[in-house]
Amino acid sequence: MTKNEFILMLQEKLEIEQILDGKTILNNLEEWDSLAAMTLIALVYEEFSIKLTVEDINSLTTVDSIIDKIGVTKFN
Amino acid sequence: MGAIIRNIEFFYPHKKISNEDLSVIFPDYNFTKFEEKIGIKNRYWVNQSETAFDLAKQACEKLFQKVDRNIIDYILYCTQSPEFFLPTTACVLQNSLGLKKNIGALDFNLGCSGFVYGINIANGLIKIGAAKNILLVTAEAYSKYIHPQDRANKGLFGDAAAATLISHSEEDCIGEFLFGTDGSGFDKLIVKNGGARYPYDPSALEMNYGTNNTYSDNHLFMDGPEIFNFTSSVIPNFTQEVLEKNNILMDEIDQFILHQANSFMLESIRKKLNAPKEKFYIDLFDGGNTVSCTIPIALKKYIENNNSTHKSIIIIGFGVGLSWAGGFIKIKNIL
Repeated sequence: MTKNEFILMLQEKLEIEQILDGKTILNNLEEWDSLAAMTLIALVYEEFSIKLTVEDINSLTTVDSIIDKIGVTKFN
Repeated sequence: MGAIIRNIEFFYPHKKISNEDLSVIFPDYNFTKFEEKIGIKNRYWVNQSETAFDLAKQACEKLFQKVDRNIIDYILYCTQSPEFFLPTTACVLQNSLGLKKNIGALDFNLGCSGFVYGINIANGLIKIGAAKNILLVTAEAYSKYIHPQDRANKGLFGDAAAATLISHSEEDCIGEFLFGTDGSGFDKLIVKNGGARYPYDPSALEMNYGTNNTYSDNHLFMDGPEIFNFTSSVIPNFTQEVLEKNNILMDEIDQFILHQANSFMLESIRKKLNAPKEKFYIDLFDGGNTVSCTIPIALKKYIENNNSTHKSIIIIGFGVGLSWAGGFIKIKNIL
């Protein structure tokens, strides 16, 4: 998966209306709530077999920070 | 000699709260998305003067329209909403229902794993000959603990009570059970103040969590993502272990009835388990997450909706504690 594909997937699964890019700040999104956090945890586990902890979630700032947390090397 | 689940009755309070009702209190939140994802449309809350015990009495009276109350020789009462610090709510219930006096009665404090524990304890009591007809009551009113501005938990939790009759029988219909406990997560779902350790604090600070949800240490707090992580990492394997413990294959199970926490979480567990949709119960549309009552309510609805008996069922409860429990049961009759 490329980073762009991942960002598109985020947009779809988290049902975010605005166009996301790497610099989008999660806390500015209306859709970014505990439900979205659960969805993200499940998504990252399904796609990358990586378990994000709550500390991981709390430390997230931008869309890029999710990619960093997963590990840039996991992307094509 | 064995044990069997003979009847289940449940009762919701009269005050029905729909997502439209919640939209009035929380106009900025999209409850359509909530309904799709979490799977809850209505939940029922007690009035200020009503308690979980009032719901319990109603559920028991429904049961006694079908069975003679004089056969009850043991009460197991599962709640985290007791009437008093002391005495035991089960004792108050014995008198209130006009049950015999030569019976056992005790409370136990568990949440979402409580019903499964109750079935296992009842099974044990029957098999050692201590009782023949056990009234297992689960009764919960979390709505009293939730801060009025805590949208997430207001949406999720509903109040209810269920009364289950477990009786001795020729055929043994209650199988092997397994348990799990991890107290390191005690503060992931908690009402902190009001017990012995931290007294109720009338000036407790109001705090925010998630997206504009308010709570204080006097109120219920749940770390949703943390509970989700615990559940999705522990429960799928645990369910497999329960199958193995009973020497039974997934194919032989008619239905998996897990604690109805929320449909998103259940769907995620189902996928990890590779269980077919038709074998995996998900229905909290009307009633929401009623803690220890979700499994008996689901059992009753499942047997009723399928209008069929002779079902092999796995029940799994998990949540506050952290505590989890699971087992195999056979249902032989309309509940």
